[in-house]
Amino acid sequence: MSLLSVLIFLPLCAALLVLLVPTAYKTVYKYIAIGVSMIQLLLAVYLYTAFDTELAGVSAMDGYQFVEKLPWIRLNLGNLGTLEVDYFVGADGFSILFLLLTALVMLVAVLASWKIDKQLKGFLSLLLLLNTAIMGVFVALDFFLFYVFYEVMLLPLYFLIGIWGGVRREYAAIKFFLYTLFGSVFMLLVMVGLYFSVTDPITGNHTFNILHMMDSKNYVEGSVFSWIGNGQLFGISARLLGFIILFIAFAIKVPIVPLHTWLPDAHVEAPTPISIILAGILLKVGGYGIIRICYSIFPDIALNVAWWIGLIGVVSIIYGALNALAQQDLKRLVAYSSVSHMGFVLLGLASLTPEGISGAMFQMVSHGFLSAMLFFLVGVLYDRVHDRMIYNFRGLASIMPTYTVFVAVAFFASLGLPGFSAFIAEAFTIIGAFNAESVNGLIPRWMAIGGAVGILLSAAYFLWTLQRMFFGHTRLKGGSQWEVLLTDVNRREKLALVPMVLLALLFGIMPALVFDKINASVLSFIELVSRVNH
Amino acid sequence: MEQLGQLSTPILAALVVLFAPLVSFFIYAAAGKQLRTGIPAIAAIAISLTASIVVFCHVWNGEQIHQQISWFQIGEHAFGAGMLLNNLSAIMLLLVSAIALPVHIYSTIYMKGDSGIHRYWLYLSLFCFAMLGLVMADSLLLMYIGWELVGFASYLLIGFWFTKSAAIKANKKAFLINRIGDLGFLVGIAVIYTQFQTFDLLALFGEHGMVREALNDGIEWRYGEHGMPVIWLSIAGGAFFLGAMAKSAQFPFHIWLPDAMEGPTSVSSLIHAATMVAAGVFMLVRISPLFDDHVLLLIGTIGAFTALMAATIALTQQDIKKILAFSTISQLGFMMVAIGIGQYGVAIFHLVTHAFFKCLLFLSAGAVIHEMQHLKEKNNLAIDPQDIRNMGGLRKYMPHTFRLTLVAALALAGLPLTAGYLSKDAILIFAFEWSEWQSAWWKLIPISLLITSALTAFYIARLVFKVFYGKLRLQRNDSQKYHPHEASRGMLIPMLFLGLCSLFPLFSYNPLIFEDSWLIKGFELPETLERVNIYHTVIPAAVNGLAIVMIFIAWKWYAKGKYPQGSFQGALYQFSFHQWYLNLFYESGLVKPLLGFSKMLYAIDRVVVDGLVEKVTGLARLFAYASHWFDRSVVDAVVNGMGKTAFVIGGLMRGSRKGKIQYYIFSMFLVLLIVLFVGLKVFSP
Repeated sequence: MSLLSVLIFLPLCAALLVLLVPTAYKTVYKYIAIGVSMIQLLLAVYLYTAFDTELAGVSAMDGYQFVEKLPWIRLNLGNLGTLEVDYFVGADGFSILFLLLTALVMLVAVLASWKIDKQLKGFLSLLLLLNTAIMGVFVALDFFLFYVFYEVMLLPLYFLIGIWGGVRREYAAIKFFLYTLFGSVFMLLVMVGLYFSVTDPITGNHTFNILHMMDSKNYVEGSVFSWIGNGQLFGISARLLGFIILFIAFAIKVPIVPLHTWLPDAHVEAPTPISIILAGILLKVGGYGIIRICYSIFPDIALNVAWWIGLIGVVSIIYGALNALAQQDLKRLVAYSSVSHMGFVLLGLASLTPEGISGAMFQMVSHGFLSAMLFFLVGVLYDRVHDRMIYNFRGLASIMPTYTVFVAVAFFASLGLPGFSAFIAEAFTIIGAFNAESVNGLIPRWMAIGGAVGILLSAAYFLWTLQRMFFGHTRLKGGSQWEVLLTDVNRREKLALVPMVLLALLFGIMPALVFDKINASVLSFIELVSRVNH
Repeated sequence: MEQLGQLSTPILAALVVLFAPLVSFFIYAAAGKQLRTGIPAIAAIAISLTASIVVFCHVWNGEQIHQQISWFQIGEHAFGAGMLLNNLSAIMLLLVSAIALPVHIYSTIYMKGDSGIHRYWLYLSLFCFAMLGLVMADSLLLMYIGWELVGFASYLLIGFWFTKSAAIKANKKAFLINRIGDLGFLVGIAVIYTQFQTFDLLALFGEHGMVREALNDGIEWRYGEHGMPVIWLSIAGGAFFLGAMAKSAQFPFHIWLPDAMEGPTSVSSLIHAATMVAAGVFMLVRISPLFDDHVLLLIGTIGAFTALMAATIALTQQDIKKILAFSTISQLGFMMVAIGIGQYGVAIFHLVTHAFFKCLLFLSAGAVIHEMQHLKEKNNLAIDPQDIRNMGGLRKYMPHTFRLTLVAALALAGLPLTAGYLSKDAILIFAFEWSEWQSAWWKLIPISLLITSALTAFYIARLVFKVFYGKLRLQRNDSQKYHPHEASRGMLIPMLFLGLCSLFPLFSYNPLIFEDSWLIKGFELPETLERVNIYHTVIPAAVNGLAIVMIFIAWKWYAKGKYPQGSFQGALYQFSFHQWYLNLFYESGLVKPLLGFSKMLYAIDRVVVDGLVEKVTGLARLFAYASHWFDRSVVDAVVNGMGKTAFVIGGLMRGSRKGKIQYYIFSMFLVLLIVLFVGLKVFSP
């Protein structure tokens, strides 16, 4: 059994364990969850260190590591052939970092759920189920398996927001659910279409194998998504339609403007640990999906629409940042900042330069723990006084000095201060995007400059917030009562925050920790996407 | 790429220069509130100074040193981190640490008893580290890192008294305006990287560097396989200059600097002298081969305009630190002009001399403010301790401070025997020589500089006379006698050191001719300029003649109290006093519209985007109702069983907004099944 499978199914076993333990032993749940998350983190760290940086993966099966491939479903459909679904998992440069990120963010999420009392059993078992699903999404190499994990991810999230959320939790949960379901239903259509277009070169059967889908030679002649057949659906090129549908499905998750309005609501209503997971990992599933599925399976289309993707990226960066500037709810501000920061991922991807794509990957990793940290910090405040409106606080620095230091670090790290990870990510995304016009002509230079304006705006909303909430003379809406409630960060909170600060610093000072792992895959990915031109 | 195998003395020394303040930073970070003494920080900066003397002795006029270790790799490009030591970085290292040390020592007295003193030392150490790192960086990327860290540290220092709302507004403003500049820097880096695929300063801007070797035929700017339209060369230069404009407070980005006076005065002295504002000028000199004629003219024009504008504002300010702040902006304008006319060595020369006398001016102002603050607290006065209208006659109470201020003021006005005389004359003379080669209009630049230097003499004389001559104006109001005291020795000794450095012997054995200065000789002079002898005699005479006249007028007005009442209260006075109304313009012309725009976008988000989503779900619901009705009244009547099923579905969909979870799962799987079924039908061959 591959270590990846352990990583995936360990939390599922723990979830069952939590369900079995009687409610009388409530306190045990948290320790089970923490224990499992720690083991996962150790495992992920081991995988990270054992990962061979020479192997690229992407479209070459033998380039994947920790592979496990087992036949799962074999269904004879009569004249339609055999339905072949494999349990096929493996990691390459694009997934290995996300495993580490997921393990870390999950641990932080468990630490952040310490104060949850309502139906703890259900909460933690859903959290662990979610953990399994996310790990699965990042390593699944069979489209069907990917889809199953992808959908399984949705369910626990829906409940976690809908039951444990804030005042408007049901509205937010439905909105989140509808948006994502809208994306995934059509994804299912494309998946089925791809299944019937692609055959396994060895067995000749139709296959869900994603790697086979990346090779134009495996497409059945005359099938819907065949490269040469130029199949049409509703008068549009089928491959273009397929790309757009998949892109929308994942872009909703990223999210892009204008498909982003689920995010502020979901974030604001979700309990702190779920906000952490949403921003920390869920958004990255979108970015990962675009790389692994959209770009890799439809490289010909990806090249044609690069301009549009770059534009969407720039619009998201600036639109998200301007919206963040208008917010009065701290959590909503952080949510919009996520929209803005994830825009860099699209901009970097669209550039299709090594700098741009590495920058985009780095941005996803960096934003993963920085946004987790930001939401955790909002949660710290909310836990104490159940308020997070910016104008209800002032001069927090005087009564919560350590908390203020953490917030300042998180803000400055997020706005791209050198020394922290986001700086390397954003700088190289922009440099890569700028470079694109000279290297491959995919996106114009002004887009890079537009992205740079986003960096400026992010400084504006973060510093303004610092000024309004933390500095000046202390003045709180809740008066002296709040002053008593607003205690500085405690040991458990520090335990969650310090590793994230250190990680942001570590990656910022030694970017090789990320770049070395992804470099081979990035180059091979660029080769895969751009070779259709030659 | 050389690895750090054998560490030679200068490299080791340079590492010590850089990391001593960083170690101090970590000491303060780890110790927290307990560590209130400044000894670790002072020790660190003293070590830095010693080590930079070693570096200077090895490097000055010797061989440049470039050492690098590999840092990371993206694609096929490797990125290194290392240091580049040559005349430029050696003199800057020396200057930064030589200014920082007296400021540190001065701070022990000036900041004594402040409850946040541990943070002060922490930030100051970070500030020095960042500046030293910026100076010795060997690549644009590292330089950018130091550049931003300097901005960050200054943000912390300006907002040191974070409960003061003016201070935190000022530091936000400083950081944001610097961010605009960072944007320029980043775009510049992106252009360079696109063209040359490297960040390495030596490879790019060295003697046979890529930038000099790149071809420019007026249409295309080409290096090797890479080329882009020649406009990008100008854009790159302009972008870097944008960065320098923000950092070195050039019009229209100078507005952060006067506000930055909200920080402790010791910090102001550091920011205004050798760090922060010097970074912009330093960076431009470092990458100077990049600039084409358009960019150079732009730099010169902006510099000359800024110099004049800031001097006109300094004439009327009543806050002692604001006067000095505008004087800094003005002097930075001089340095920019020097860069614009291609005299990079002269720019650095003025940077160095200015650093000493401006730092001294600030420390003197600090001593005065310290004393006024003391009087205010002791006697419970409701005064602004920085307002020069409350001062006067301090010469008698603080004679040493007065003498040192006088030295610095003379240097700023550019009178002989001071260091300021040498560097300012150099800029003026070269500017006139340069204008010989330009069309007639460009004569405006040296002429405006000449006017500026006359104004400079006036405003600094006004400051000295108003603060130190006449009678203590506090006295007039009430019967009580005030006795300000001389600053303590801990403050005076650092000031004395700076005072000595503001005189000519440090720079040249000849007090009158700048060309003899060793510092200028350390930089290559452009060969294009022909020496026009006449300028070398006429200009110093003109500058000094004007200065003496101006000082005399100031003496009559402010020391003798013969100020022509009423004649200078008009629109021009108001225009100058309100700093050309630029802050007002930014606030109502840029900030408010931007915030309004962002609010509008948020409204769009709520109403339009979300509204659309609502519409779609509403439509779906309508459809559900319709089908429900259809089921009940049409289908139901025909096929009973089928109708029942549909009824259930319709009911489910109708309930889809009531939050009944099991329905959603059920409907989701139903939809999945239908889609799967349809898919099989559509796609199966």
